[in-house]
Amino acid sequence: MKQQSRFGRFTSKSAYAFAAWGLLAVLLIVCAVRAPYLFTASGIGGLLVSAVPLVLVVMGITVTALVGSGVDLSAGPLMIFVNVTLVKVLFDQQIGSPVAVIAWALGIGVLIQIIQAIVITVARIEPVIVTLSAFLALSGINLVILAQPGGQAPRWLAEWGSGRSILAPMTIVLITAILGWWAFTRTQLFTNLRLVGSNQRTAFVSGVPVTMIRVVAHGISGLLIGAGGLAYTGQIASGNPTQGGTYTLAAITALVLGGISLAGGRGGVLGSIPGAIAVTLISFTLTTFSLGSLASFVVQLSYGLILVAALLISVIIPSLWRKRQEVKAS
Amino acid sequence: MVNEDLNLDSAPRAMVAENHETAVSIQDVKKSFGETQALRGASFSARAGEIHAIVGENGSGKSTLAKIMSGIVLPDEGSVDIHGHHVSSPAEALKTGVATVFQEVLVAEGASISDNVFIGSQGVWRSRMSRSEQHRRATDVLEHLMGHSVDASALVETLSLADRQWVTIARALVRSPRVVIFDESTAALDLSGAARLYAQMERLRSEGVCVVIVTHRIAELTTFADSATVLRDGIDVGILRGSEITESRLIELMTGVKERSGLAPQSRRLSKGATADIVLQAAGLVATQGARPSDFVLHSGEIVGFAGLDGQGQAEFLQTLTGVRQAINGEVTAVARTGAAHPISNLAEAITANVSYISGDRRKEGIFPNLSIFENFGMPLYRHHRRAGVIDRTAISARFDAMSKTLKLRAGAPSNPITSLSGGNQQKVLIGRELAQDPQVVALNDPARGVDISTKRELYAQLEHLALEGAGIIYLSTEIDELIGLCDRVAVFRDGALLGWVTGDNITSDRVLAGMFGHLEADFDVEKALVEQQ
Repeated sequence: MKQQSRFGRFTSKSAYAFAAWGLLAVLLIVCAVRAPYLFTASGIGGLLVSAVPLVLVVMGITVTALVGSGVDLSAGPLMIFVNVTLVKVLFDQQIGSPVAVIAWALGIGVLIQIIQAIVITVARIEPVIVTLSAFLALSGINLVILAQPGGQAPRWLAEWGSGRSILAPMTIVLITAILGWWAFTRTQLFTNLRLVGSNQRTAFVSGVPVTMIRVVAHGISGLLIGAGGLAYTGQIASGNPTQGGTYTLAAITALVLGGISLAGGRGGVLGSIPGAIAVTLISFTLTTFSLGSLASFVVQLSYGLILVAALLISVIIPSLWRKRQEVKAS
Repeated sequence: MVNEDLNLDSAPRAMVAENHETAVSIQDVKKSFGETQALRGASFSARAGEIHAIVGENGSGKSTLAKIMSGIVLPDEGSVDIHGHHVSSPAEALKTGVATVFQEVLVAEGASISDNVFIGSQGVWRSRMSRSEQHRRATDVLEHLMGHSVDASALVETLSLADRQWVTIARALVRSPRVVIFDESTAALDLSGAARLYAQMERLRSEGVCVVIVTHRIAELTTFADSATVLRDGIDVGILRGSEITESRLIELMTGVKERSGLAPQSRRLSKGATADIVLQAAGLVATQGARPSDFVLHSGEIVGFAGLDGQGQAEFLQTLTGVRQAINGEVTAVARTGAAHPISNLAEAITANVSYISGDRRKEGIFPNLSIFENFGMPLYRHHRRAGVIDRTAISARFDAMSKTLKLRAGAPSNPITSLSGGNQQKVLIGRELAQDPQVVALNDPARGVDISTKRELYAQLEHLALEGAGIIYLSTEIDELIGLCDRVAVFRDGALLGWVTGDNITSDRVLAGMFGHLEADFDVEKALVEQQ
């Protein structure tokens, strides 16, 4: 067998991410025409900062998709649960120290995801049903905690979120998350997680502790979604109980755009992060057209159409690529 | 019948090194899966530094025994002791030093070859070996096993099936195991590959590892197994050691000496034999890639058996004959009673020509599990029994009653789900479904898998009845016993092609097995032994 070059191996292993990067490139070209100010330091910074909550949530559901739990519907409401509890419960209790707030946000994310993982693995209920239940329950609880948008975030967090420069605290959070992910992919845990996702039975008979790996994967997902809730709170500096469903849909769109296999085992944040940024850019791009009151409908419509188009392309391009490789090989 | 065989255990054991400790000890293990009893009190023990084979026909429980040793299946009763440990999960098996290569080629698609070799053995959090080291070792081990170089960082699905099997073998070997179980591991390998695997087994033995091989290919183990435990119907019926391991002794134990006459009671039909009318014929048929072309003729009133080792192409051949599978080359023609010839190249043509195919894999290819017994039976009849476009349930109901009477169906209300029936009764419904369409040719692909003996006999009687009425029947079975007494002729398959025929009184376990297995004995003249055309 011919040894592939480093670059060749990288491109063939990352073929799944073509659609997301391609879409991102197209959107950036459109923006370059419609809104050149995006290509200033603060423009890019603003885009990244506004994408951070979604990016973190998408990273979270990437982990659960990789381990074979499919799409996590509960991610959006879970992020919002962190948001409303931070501005309502913690703020009302005068708890505002960074340590307590961060511990709460990450801890509650991990806890709720681990509870779901235990229901999935021990009671063996279909993941989609479990996460749907969590979606519904959390959406309801969020409205009980905070009936309408309002409340106040701790001042330090609001300041964190208000930065729009390219080195704002939020972009640093983003860079930290990406570096953390990179380190995570180099661990044996990540290898095990992918192996469980791609063939749970093989992993089980080979002695991989499948249940534990799945629970840990959901825990890591909770950590990232909790961080997403924190970033979201900083960004809007208040609470908004109504955005859970929107975030779930946007996150799943980004996940699928990013080429992550919903059957598990394949893909990574190399696809889902550009996917998340592309999803953010779609709505940004559309605001450059004056759509007036139609805007929100058009955004949803474009999500749907772009998703289908991107998927068609992501099916066609890798197969063309493979054919080319075969032709080369023979 | 069992008692007679038991004293074989007291035969001299001088052939085996005495000072090796017992590695595996299993006592009176029982295990049921639903209604099927896979193991009914089997015992097994093997020592370190020996190659110990577990032999038995399909369904004798040998794979279940291997799974119990690997911690994948937990026994209902009985004790399992491996090097003093009680193994109750694959992770524990791993710790105890048990490595298993399964019959199914279990790889994690989407992961690299190297990850697939080291899956499970590297701990949960931190790997015991750096990735580059893993990569290097995987490349080394696989090159040695496969006989050609390989890029261990490539995805595992870029490999051929045989090479994926080598990946699972390498997975067992890199664990430095104390007990290695090979469950039918040569199935996906060619002859030279099998030879390389035997060399590995002998190396392991010399290192004091207990090597357990599970197989029904008996010829391959007469040469190098130190001991062989024979299983029949979920019970161990004897242990052979050293030079006692011969094909004839193994076959005797596997099939049971007293049962040589086969499962089907001697038929009244056989003397009448087949008629001269051809109902189905194939010319130059190639069903599997790379097989020799084969000719085949089925007469009216004839029951033909298909035999062969698993994966020798008999099932594919049967499916091609019945239009279920596309032929690679050659033609199949059904001849109607009127003399008209119908070519068969797909399922629709087979249905018009009244050629039925009944699968033994009920769950996958037979039943509609969420529908009722009645609906499962009536499905293909809806086309025929219609009044002004509305399904005539009364007519179908009458046919259902007739079917359940002739097939002695043991079922509750017809509206109960089909899954409420036992496997044998589900099979009856499926057979009834085909028979209700008045087939001219009935091809059965191992229909009696997991069916109890009395139901089997009812099935045989039904097939004979059908043959007497002029249908041609092809019966593929993985148990040779089934074919004896039932079939007029048995076609033996090897390497995807029809190798030869065994006819009439010559249909005995020994002869059919000889045809299936003989290829590993150098001086065995297969063609001469088998070509006994009528």
